[in-house]
Amino acid sequence: MAYRILIVDDSPAMRAFVRRVIQLSGFELSRCFEASNGQEALDLLGQEWVDAILTDINMPCVDGEEFLRRLSADEMLRSIPAIVISTDATQQRIARLLSLGARGYITKPFLPEDLRTELEGTLGVPYV
Amino acid sequence: MSDMLLHRALEVSVEEVLEKMFFIQGLEGPESAASETRVVARLTFEGNPSGSLSLSVTGAAARSIAADFLGEDEPELSEQQIGEVICELANMICGSVLSRVESNTIFRLGAPRLLEESETESVSPGATDSTIHAVEISNGALVVMVNTETPAWSTVEKSAY
Repeated sequence: MAYRILIVDDSPAMRAFVRRVIQLSGFELSRCFEASNGQEALDLLGQEWVDAILTDINMPCVDGEEFLRRLSADEMLRSIPAIVISTDATQQRIARLLSLGARGYITKPFLPEDLRTELEGTLGVPYV
Repeated sequence: MSDMLLHRALEVSVEEVLEKMFFIQGLEGPESAASETRVVARLTFEGNPSGSLSLSVTGAAARSIAADFLGEDEPELSEQQIGEVICELANMICGSVLSRVESNTIFRLGAPRLLEESETESVSPGATDSTIHAVEISNGALVVMVNTETPAWSTVEKSAY
């Protein structure tokens, strides 16, 4: 089974990097969507279904925390697993984001296999 | 002790980010001439303490770093793409440093921005008494400088490692 992923980050370079890492890692990707902030992501989710979301925290307009709050408040969207990708590795921040509904948390810098492992674990992809 | 802790955190963070995200191994002691054209990114951070991080890299090295990060050939890259990657590099190093030294507090990073040439004079090894780490990478040098508004960690000793 191949998956549809949404990458939310205000840095075009980071979005391109994450997309490339997912592809190179061997993760089964059918389609990759991108948004530069939480509001753009919510707009896109009104039109497209995705299997998982990878989101940054610090973004203009609607940041990662607010994005997670709005996802959790939406009956249709709350079942989509969101994984945070951030440079912030402090335990307080990680606990806060998980309490807002994030299903996973990856700290930058990360290895390609870390991202694949987190994605597959969150999606319940069977180990082959 | 505080300065040593910050410098060690900076050293480890630069090494880790370059290796994991850019597949680059830096060498100590840059030999590039200070007069080379540089790409400089800076971001501020709020926390305990607050301050700023500046990253300066020679033009050729910036292009090489961006090519590694994006998986593109160097000639294909635009100046905008190179700038975005250098800003992201500064962002990752800053977050990594702060996660090590502010492990018990929530900090907030500002958006990184590229500096104009006229703003870049202070970002070179030995230019100030800030905490600085410099490495030699392919095609040039990379210098990272952290300035804190107050003496770092005067009341609480952080366990960074």
